[in-house]
Amino acid sequence: MMANISDLSRVALDSSRDSSGSGSSSRSLRVAESMKKKGETNPFRSALSSLSQVREGTTVKGNDELERNLVVVETIAFGQGLPPEAVSLLLDLALSLRSGTCSRVLKFLIPASVVPQEAIVRGVSWLCVGKMPVNAQVLFLRWVLTVFDLIDCKDHLRAIYGFIFSFVTEENLCPFICHLLYLLTMREHVQPYRVRKLLDVQAKMGRQPYLMQLLALYKVFRPELVSFSVPTRMRTGFKNHNSTWKAALTAVQRKNRAEVMADHSLTVEVKEKPTSRKRKLHHLDVPALSSAFDTNSERKVFRLQELQSFTELIQNIHNIELPAQMGSLLGSSLALHYLDCVQDESAFLRLNFWLGHSLQEEFLLCPADGSLSSLAEASQFLSIILSSQQFLQESFFSTESFLYKFLTVWDGSLLRTHFLDLLSHVPLMPSHYIKVLVFEPLMQLYFTSAVFFKCSVMECLNNMLVKWLTWHSVNALEDGLDISLNSNGTVTMTLSGFMDTIIELVRFVGRLAAEGLRLENCHVLLLSQTLTFYETVCDMFVKYGLPLVIMPPAGVFYPALLATDSLTVDRLGYIMYRYRENLTLAKKQEQQSEQTFHISRNTYQEFNQHLVAMVSCLWNSKSFLPGTGFEIDECLLTQTKVPEYGSRFDLVHHPAFFKYAIEFHQKFWPRRKRVDLASIKVGKYWNWYVEFLFSQGFDGLNDFIQVNTGHSSSSVLCQSLTLFICLSGQCHIED
Amino acid sequence: MALLTPYSKIPELNTATVLLVENEEQFQSRLADAIVQQEKDINVNVRLARKLPLPVENSETRPRIDLVVFIVNLLSERSLQAAESSLSHLGPDYFLGKLCFLVTDARCGAVPQERLLSVRRLAASHHCPVIYAEHQTEDGITMTAMRVLTILKVSAGLSPVATTALYLSTFTRCTFPSDFDED
Repeated sequence: MMANISDLSRVALDSSRDSSGSGSSSRSLRVAESMKKKGETNPFRSALSSLSQVREGTTVKGNDELERNLVVVETIAFGQGLPPEAVSLLLDLALSLRSGTCSRVLKFLIPASVVPQEAIVRGVSWLCVGKMPVNAQVLFLRWVLTVFDLIDCKDHLRAIYGFIFSFVTEENLCPFICHLLYLLTMREHVQPYRVRKLLDVQAKMGRQPYLMQLLALYKVFRPELVSFSVPTRMRTGFKNHNSTWKAALTAVQRKNRAEVMADHSLTVEVKEKPTSRKRKLHHLDVPALSSAFDTNSERKVFRLQELQSFTELIQNIHNIELPAQMGSLLGSSLALHYLDCVQDESAFLRLNFWLGHSLQEEFLLCPADGSLSSLAEASQFLSIILSSQQFLQESFFSTESFLYKFLTVWDGSLLRTHFLDLLSHVPLMPSHYIKVLVFEPLMQLYFTSAVFFKCSVMECLNNMLVKWLTWHSVNALEDGLDISLNSNGTVTMTLSGFMDTIIELVRFVGRLAAEGLRLENCHVLLLSQTLTFYETVCDMFVKYGLPLVIMPPAGVFYPALLATDSLTVDRLGYIMYRYRENLTLAKKQEQQSEQTFHISRNTYQEFNQHLVAMVSCLWNSKSFLPGTGFEIDECLLTQTKVPEYGSRFDLVHHPAFFKYAIEFHQKFWPRRKRVDLASIKVGKYWNWYVEFLFSQGFDGLNDFIQVNTGHSSSSVLCQSLTLFICLSGQCHIED
Repeated sequence: MALLTPYSKIPELNTATVLLVENEEQFQSRLADAIVQQEKDINVNVRLARKLPLPVENSETRPRIDLVVFIVNLLSERSLQAAESSLSHLGPDYFLGKLCFLVTDARCGAVPQERLLSVRRLAASHHCPVIYAEHQTEDGITMTAMRVLTILKVSAGLSPVATTALYLSTFTRCTFPSDFDED
């Protein structure tokens, strides 16, 4: 009966395969072929049934009938694999030791599709009877490990976890038992008495890698139970035990690939078998989703790979089974949704365990042989991590520790974009840690590298600052004194600790920028990246609610003010305008409610100084004079022989706006042969010129002038002198 | 003369000389090629040596050496020892920013962590930068050459911006976190 059904399904499968491809003539051929096969399976059936009736104590030697039947079954097994019921029948025959052919049968036990879990359970019960010789026990366990991913569901196996665990004390079986337990363990299996037992065994047998691996997994599930520290670099874990069956199994599976693909639960290939948890060089793959513990009919559980849509996820979110390899979560956005919603601590632990292991072992400590494939693999892997982190808006702590380690030995070019992107995602940490872990190695790299590297570091640090500020504005706890560092609020940082870190970051960037600009001769790209960073810094209070104002250092401010491109000066204008807004708001809040915070007198002074310098330089034609913020000795200035040096950097003569002044001049006095820019500065022409400049899209400059005069742009009709008085009256925010 | 000194000779116009010291002689010639190919504006001389002191014979014709780079191959135990013993043949002026360490195979899993730490400790105690090189890839070698050139130009006084080797080295020198010392 069973044979008929399986043959029928094969016919159906064949015909469906054919309908997509070749014509009907080949279909009839296939049908004829499968009819022939049907004829062939009959001796197999009869051989099986006579094998099932073998009684205890049957002799092998000279028993021709038994020998003939075994040969028939063996041929089928190596040719096309055994159907599930044959696997359980033969396994029972082998382990019951009825015929004395135990190891021979085990060796050709190649399943065609699935292995019924009941067969394994019965096998374990035979193991418990204790009659099997040691080599047969080992062979059986090795077989179970090999076909582990083909077992149809594992909940009954999980139910007898305790029985399996009891074999841990047997020295010969221990490595295999540990591996099997490693594959079966769930959180509820980790119990204090089991941990104690494992530690006993470890005391007896030494720190064996397989014991360490299992204990490490226990620690992941229940960190409070396993107190000893797991070494960060575990070289070898479990060995491959599939050598006996591997070739035959691969061949059979390849042959049955089409059928295997039809059954979704069997998308696992030999490559992704649990034995591949063993370390492989250059193997940075995100594994396919495959369930560790499959569904049974009584308890309705959804496997993540079965979910097709978000709606399904929502409907079944309460009973979703996590996959066998947590790394596979990274590949699927539904799985990430699940992870985000459920906030399952153990899921995160397992994921981090896997990630840290892969990054550390496969990437960091692996000598890159320069082959493009391994680099491409690594960069793909890093971008998957990056996109998962962006999706979860949280970084994995295993990536974080990997980053810090990698940063100390980084050459500055290997996978630069990925690495810097990941680095900009590091979570908040206390200021002294970030100094040692990130800033010092980064600074050593920064100052020995080219200007483009400097720019990307600036960009990375700006992203880091934006992420932290956003995190603060979203996650500041209610009293405003603490900030939660992870999404469920279990780790917190005080507000002052957070401010220290931000101050540290901003000062660090200030230093990098000022020195970098000097070394790179105020490279325009670097200047632009620096100003992007300060566009974030100047708005920390208004935009992110962080009561902190930090001014740019002179090494950044003056290069930007005296830059030769107009965009830079315009952006500086915008930045100064935003600083003013922030400081004004801070002042207002301070006066209203006396409490909150106090912005130091120095900050106001610095701001005023920058403001005076900027206004006297651009507007009043009084650059370099005493009292303007940046003063240069008059003797020196006369030595330069530049006429009217004070006005060389006003809005007309400034190298950034010179072009616009000429254009204005040509438009206004088209007849004039001699260009006289000084005439622009007289009376209403000046206002018209300023209007003209604003119409060119210098919004930052526009804002800067407007807010500091208190007039709208259409009514900037005052003389430069009055503007300065007006400015010094208004903009000086007294402390 | 036993000690190598940076200021005993007159510099040549638009010329910088770097000395690459590597006991194993595996990486230095490839790096030398990359350095020479990379720089187009100035004349860069690259001298190679296995160890210091340099032979006395041609010390007269040898140009002034502006930067000494010790290449330490972490896979070999001798490498670091050779570099360490060569240090004593350098004049004190080299320690003011005219010396750097270049480490290869720092990411290799077979390297004992202690060896990497002792290189860092050595560099930190001499206030030198450490450059980590990916010497097996083309990009890695180019990047390394570029970084050596950055330091070289400053230490040879060829940087267009007024800066000295000592000043730059305050930013680039290797630091060794104090808590590592306690371990």
